[in-house]
Amino acid sequence: MKTRLEHRRPRAHRLSRRTLLQGVGIGAGLAAAGTLPALVSRARAKTAGKVIVRTGGGAYEDALRKAIFEPFTAATGIEVQPFATNVAKIAAMVEAHDVQIDVADLGEFTTVTFEKRGALEKIDRAKFKRTNLADIDSVTDYYIGENTYATVMGYNTTAFASKHPRNWAEFWDVKRFPGGRMLEDMSAEFPNLEFALLADGVPMDKLYPLDVDRAFKKLREIRPHITKWWTSGAVSAQMLASKDVVLGSVWNGRILALMDHKAPLAIEWNECSRQLQTLCILKGAPNLENALAYLDFALQPKPQAEVAKLVGYGPTNKKAFQFIDAKLAARLPTSPQHLKIGFTTNARWWVDHRAEVNSKWQAFLLGE
Amino acid sequence: MQPALAPIPAAEERLSAALAARRGTRSSRTILLILPALLFLGLFFAYPMIDIVMRSLSGAGGFSLAHYGRLVAHPIYFRVFQITFEIALTVTIVTLLFGYPLAYVLVHCGRLAAGAIWACILLSLFTNILVRTYAWMILLAPDGVINQLLGAVGLGHQKLLFNRFAVLVGMTYALLPYMVLTLYSVMRGIDGTLLQAARNLGAGGGRAFWHVFLPLSLPGVVGGSLLVFILAVGYFITPRLLGGAGDQMIAMVIEEQVELGMDWGFASALAILLLLLTLAGFLLYSRFVGLKSLFESKL
Repeated sequence: MKTRLEHRRPRAHRLSRRTLLQGVGIGAGLAAAGTLPALVSRARAKTAGKVIVRTGGGAYEDALRKAIFEPFTAATGIEVQPFATNVAKIAAMVEAHDVQIDVADLGEFTTVTFEKRGALEKIDRAKFKRTNLADIDSVTDYYIGENTYATVMGYNTTAFASKHPRNWAEFWDVKRFPGGRMLEDMSAEFPNLEFALLADGVPMDKLYPLDVDRAFKKLREIRPHITKWWTSGAVSAQMLASKDVVLGSVWNGRILALMDHKAPLAIEWNECSRQLQTLCILKGAPNLENALAYLDFALQPKPQAEVAKLVGYGPTNKKAFQFIDAKLAARLPTSPQHLKIGFTTNARWWVDHRAEVNSKWQAFLLGE
Repeated sequence: MQPALAPIPAAEERLSAALAARRGTRSSRTILLILPALLFLGLFFAYPMIDIVMRSLSGAGGFSLAHYGRLVAHPIYFRVFQITFEIALTVTIVTLLFGYPLAYVLVHCGRLAAGAIWACILLSLFTNILVRTYAWMILLAPDGVINQLLGAVGLGHQKLLFNRFAVLVGMTYALLPYMVLTLYSVMRGIDGTLLQAARNLGAGGGRAFWHVFLPLSLPGVVGGSLLVFILAVGYFITPRLLGGAGDQMIAMVIEEQVELGMDWGFASALAILLLLLTLAGFLLYSRFVGLKSLFESKL
């Protein structure tokens, strides 16, 4: 035992010394090889830098990558770092004064909430060189509309072959149009109070401020015919696909995806509600100048048209329709023919009244 | 070597001093051993808990009871709590009813059968909860497999989805492995010779089970039930996807307040109330049922 140990020890020692030397050699080589490109890229980054953009991930981020990130980097040298996260995490960053993203791509409701909390950087319109902001309606001090999705009336074409409901009043008419229905639950985004008011005869341009109690009264009429208040976009799509319901409110992107897969479904665009997806810059953004350059690039007609082609969201820049054919326009919430017959959700009203609506919504769900 | 050469009293002193030092290092070593756990709990449990309490008690201008005031002003949120506990309790009972025989069979059957049952249980445990819940949506759909089977045997078309039944099915399915695992670990520790002794003394199979096996397995029943109940109280994905309007659980409301409403103060107040109500239930349970058996278990 002893001799074996004695033999082994010095050898192990020698070996370890050799390995150490080898390690140092390899390490030094690696370090030399590694620093060079790192130095080069750092030098490049110093000239152009990067911009960190929050997205929701998924297919939408893939579309942004193709339509905006890649051409933006090619044009400016600024690298785009996508940062997929939920809203709560951004709120936590803001609260902790540790903002790690520059640009946030968010629904208008969330953006307005952040704006009210003083979490957004005022947008310097003078810095815009590529985009003519006059072509976009939804420009505010703290955010700019990027694209638009819509909550539309979707229906099963086998259930309603000859005639289908053409407005929300007819949606409420269960005698003429029988069948299971669905409407949006508050945990998806907004309950469809607007649709209830339209069904009750409120004109589209007189919806806001919403008469909440009147809306709930109207919703109680349709409640027995609602199979489920859908709690996410995926659930609504699943219910339409599996014929749990034959009629319901649904986001246009979700039902279009099903229709593209030959599901027997169709959209009634009349009285659809449009929701704005916005771009904003967070206060304390580490790369402020690049963030502005990103907004300037992303809001141009061409990238907007590209996003529309890839995910079916409507451009906010009117000039984008120069690059959009009639077939694509028929799918978009902001095409001229659809703009006329729908309305825009008033996100500010919702930010101010969401808490009040929430307790009423809970009570409504439980049968009150 | 040196202490042996020193005068005897001094040596004794040194010895006791050394022993004391050793005792000291042992206790300080023990502290060192639990220090990582203490630090971890302090950092990732106590601190966030305190933060949630503070959040629930703060409004626009510092300290405020506004969030709790909102709760009191809208008793509907208490209804949601009530439904939450109803569902959690039902799920606990159903998982126990299914889990107990399953664990019993697992302990007593052959290795091959046990392997097959384990595979089923663990496979469902390792599958993502969303995937499992969507699978139930497809199975329970109006034209789904189960309805087709019901139709084939002449029971007609049943509404199986978007109601309390679907929530109970989905949650029981998701939580059953926790019940079985807990019960199994306790049942396996039960000494089989005790049952043999009971049989030797003339007890029938049922009586031996009732008077020997069942009491010995109670720690598992208590532990498994507590585990399942506590997990069930916090469920939101399954009731959200499978439930109907009447199946609101409080975690769904909390999630909505965090992610969409961005009202973290109110969400915190709801979370604190959930914690307090759960603790109250725990105390009642320990008073009437007793938790002693839980801590005697061989887990």
